[in-house]
Amino acid sequence: MVQLGSALLKGYRGGHVVIRFALGGCTNRPFYRIVAAHSKRARDGKYLEQLGCLDPLPNAHGEKVAGLNLERLRHWLGCGAQLSRPAEKLLGLAGFLPLHPMTITNAERLRRRRRRAQESDAPPAEGGSQEPSAAV
Amino acid sequence: MLAALRCCGPRSFPAAFYEAIPAWSPWLVPSRGRKSRYDPPAKSKASRLKVPPPVDPAELYVVTERYRQHRLVLSALRALLLGSSIFRSEVVQRKREAQRDAEDSAALSEEHRLLMAWNDAENARQRARREERIRKEEEERKMQKLQAAENKAKLMEAFLKEKEKEVLQLQEEAKTFITPENLEARIEECLDNPRNYNFAIDKEGRIVKRTALS
Repeated sequence: MVQLGSALLKGYRGGHVVIRFALGGCTNRPFYRIVAAHSKRARDGKYLEQLGCLDPLPNAHGEKVAGLNLERLRHWLGCGAQLSRPAEKLLGLAGFLPLHPMTITNAERLRRRRRRAQESDAPPAEGGSQEPSAAV
Repeated sequence: MLAALRCCGPRSFPAAFYEAIPAWSPWLVPSRGRKSRYDPPAKSKASRLKVPPPVDPAELYVVTERYRQHRLVLSALRALLLGSSIFRSEVVQRKREAQRDAEDSAALSEEHRLLMAWNDAENARQRARREERIRKEEEERKMQKLQAAENKAKLMEAFLKEKEKEVLQLQEEAKTFITPENLEARIEECLDNPRNYNFAIDKEGRIVKRTALS
């Protein structure tokens, strides 16, 4: 029997190892696997190793659950793997890496927007309560 | 599928729900929808002025600074992890070697020294033989060259001698040549001394003056 396996393997030029999210699941039910793969592979294609998973939809207690294999993550990062932006953000939130700047920035913006919304709600309420007193 | 996604797009949900979704969720609809890139834009968009999103310079500065710090930290982490992972095996190997050496280092070093000495002796011997051989070859070559030169010189000498002989012979013959000055005298001489060529010659080359007929 002629062995042709190695000749059929896909060979890439360039590219690097990337730790990113591979989308799985069904319609209206996404599920991400945190995966170390070659950068030129398809998003859901053959990967080198699965390093965790993430459920983007909150569960019954309102939590978004993620699992990470930190030992293997360290190994792959030591081998020189790049990270995709969402993977960086997730690891920042997990505490393995420092927080991503945009996480902090978005949180600040949200807080500012909420405060502005509160302030815009509060003065009309005060103005409304003062007007009747002024009218009176 | 895209139309179905669009119907439950950003407008139909409250703002708070929209803020709570992170940037990488599939609820956000891609910007290119029903039209391909080659379809012309609609007439209602003829007066549309595309303006880039407004940027707060203070926030931009802060965000750039945060990115710089973040990248610095990441590169440092990467370097740390790279060092610890790549060289870990080498460090372990070196540790094992050190352990083994520490066990019986005296005997090993003695053996090593003896072996090295034997190796050096072998090298010296081979070198001597090699040099001898090279010297002999050099001498051979020199001898051959000398021989060749001598042979050549001999050949040249012989050749020159031959030529000398020929030249002398020619000089000798030149005395009997007919020149314009001798011409008259030689003609007179030939006319005065008629020679008789009326003879035959047999197979041995003897001249036969008497034939059977006479």
